[in-house]
Amino acid sequence: MAVPARRRAADVVAFAFASLATAFGLFWLAWILWTTLAQGAAALTPSLFTQMTPPPGASGGLLNAFYGSAVMILLAVLIGTPIGIAAGTYLAEHGRYSRLAVIVSFINDILLSAPSIVIGLFIYEVMVRSMGHFSGLAGGIALAMILLPIVVRTTEESLRLVPDQMREAGFALGMPRWRVTSRIIYRAAQSAIVTGVLLAVARIAGETAPLLFTALNNQFWSASLNEPLANVPVVIFQYAMSPYDEWHTLAWAGAFVLTAFVLVLNVGVRILARRGGNK
Amino acid sequence: MNETAPAIRIETVGQDTVARDVKIDIRDLNFYYGKAPALKSVSFGVPSNAVTSIIGPSGCGKSTLLRTINRIFELYPEQRATGEIIIDGANVLDRGYSLSGLRRLVGMVFQKPTPFASSIRSNVGFALNYYDRLSKSELNDRIEDALRQAALWDEVKDKLSHSALSLSGGQQQRLCIARAIAVRPEVLLLDEATSALDPISTAKIEELIDELRERFTIVVVTHNMQQAARISQSTAFFHLGELIEFGNTSDVFTNPREQRTRDYITGRYG
Repeated sequence: MAVPARRRAADVVAFAFASLATAFGLFWLAWILWTTLAQGAAALTPSLFTQMTPPPGASGGLLNAFYGSAVMILLAVLIGTPIGIAAGTYLAEHGRYSRLAVIVSFINDILLSAPSIVIGLFIYEVMVRSMGHFSGLAGGIALAMILLPIVVRTTEESLRLVPDQMREAGFALGMPRWRVTSRIIYRAAQSAIVTGVLLAVARIAGETAPLLFTALNNQFWSASLNEPLANVPVVIFQYAMSPYDEWHTLAWAGAFVLTAFVLVLNVGVRILARRGGNK
Repeated sequence: MNETAPAIRIETVGQDTVARDVKIDIRDLNFYYGKAPALKSVSFGVPSNAVTSIIGPSGCGKSTLLRTINRIFELYPEQRATGEIIIDGANVLDRGYSLSGLRRLVGMVFQKPTPFASSIRSNVGFALNYYDRLSKSELNDRIEDALRQAALWDEVKDKLSHSALSLSGGQQQRLCIARAIAVRPEVLLLDEATSALDPISTAKIEELIDELRERFTIVVVTHNMQQAARISQSTAFFHLGELIEFGNTSDVFTNPREQRTRDYITGRYG
């Protein structure tokens, strides 16, 4: 039977709008990538990853900034992931019917939407001021505070997606809750939980505000978590605001690497999630 | 409609039921979802080493009854049961009765296959590891034994380390049966265990149930009356939370005592 002309027209219009909207979104992404690439191309050399941030007028790279960012992100993941998964597990499994879980969930929502600069100021107040100096440790903890509520929420949601029948199947074998959760539910939800952690990493990778008040920056190589630590977002910020052309180019190159990293992470997460879903 | 001599049939049904050993003695069982009653003063004895089917229209309390026997309902705080379920002389609804002990004694298989996201071997061995300290070879023997009893061994013996999720629906359901019998329970509860399967898989599982009844007391909830007639020796008919009739399957299907049973099995409602 032929599809009526009106329905076909509606289909064409809807398809056209959807395609336009997609193209519109992709257009900006392509433009951002192109601009950062074009402006930073001159600095996109091996030395970007092998040399320190230079003084004005000299050539250099962003090695210390990449290193500092990596260390602080790792620190944030190490602190935030176990706590976040444990809290998400409480919300989805143990505390399902408790009032406390409702309160925890509500507070987590607040933390989730807290402006990152507020978290930076908070860590500044409780850590930087009491220690007397900026430090990579404070930066990592600030990032952990941003990562934590994301991991809590995604863990809770991934666990809730596991059908209750899987829990019942475990309990029906006489298994205690900890074993059902750790051996059955986590396995069923693992790719979704990992996805959540990776998305949280993508989110904190570009955070600048909380690091301005905590890790600050460091012109020189420093592996110590107890000292100010260079990092990509703050270096981009400082170099972009400077009057020096070399610094501008380095800032663009850093911005490109950061954007590409987040993009690759997101695409990787998609692939991972799809593979997990097809099992 | 056949209305002949119902009184005589009742006598026969009663005697036959008593003649078998009772494995699960249900006494004055009431069940509530919140305030809504789902089972009303249910009492009957599930015979030992036989298949008992629970039939009735949707919402009549069939599944609720199964979920009460292994106390899986306790996962949900708004659900509550009163009365007694006596297995081997002890009331399993007692607060003090060990839950893991009960669930080791009473295995359950669900409507949809519920394989865990791990290998076939670890699905079957899952609970074994928890209950017993077994050596690797003992564990493998128990796994093989369970898979053989579930008539799945020949199909999976070469791919025990493959994901259980790679099996077909019918195989997954037999895997769930293997997983349940691996811990050597005495009672098996099957909650519409074939309703999500194709006819061939269903036939295999029915055959399996018939073999398993020598070793287990089996309670089957089913929507499929032909299935109940094929596989069970006793049948309980529930309607709106009440046990309407319980007796030998042949009697319940060919000569029911109650008008409501007759109406249901002849397809007047359900």
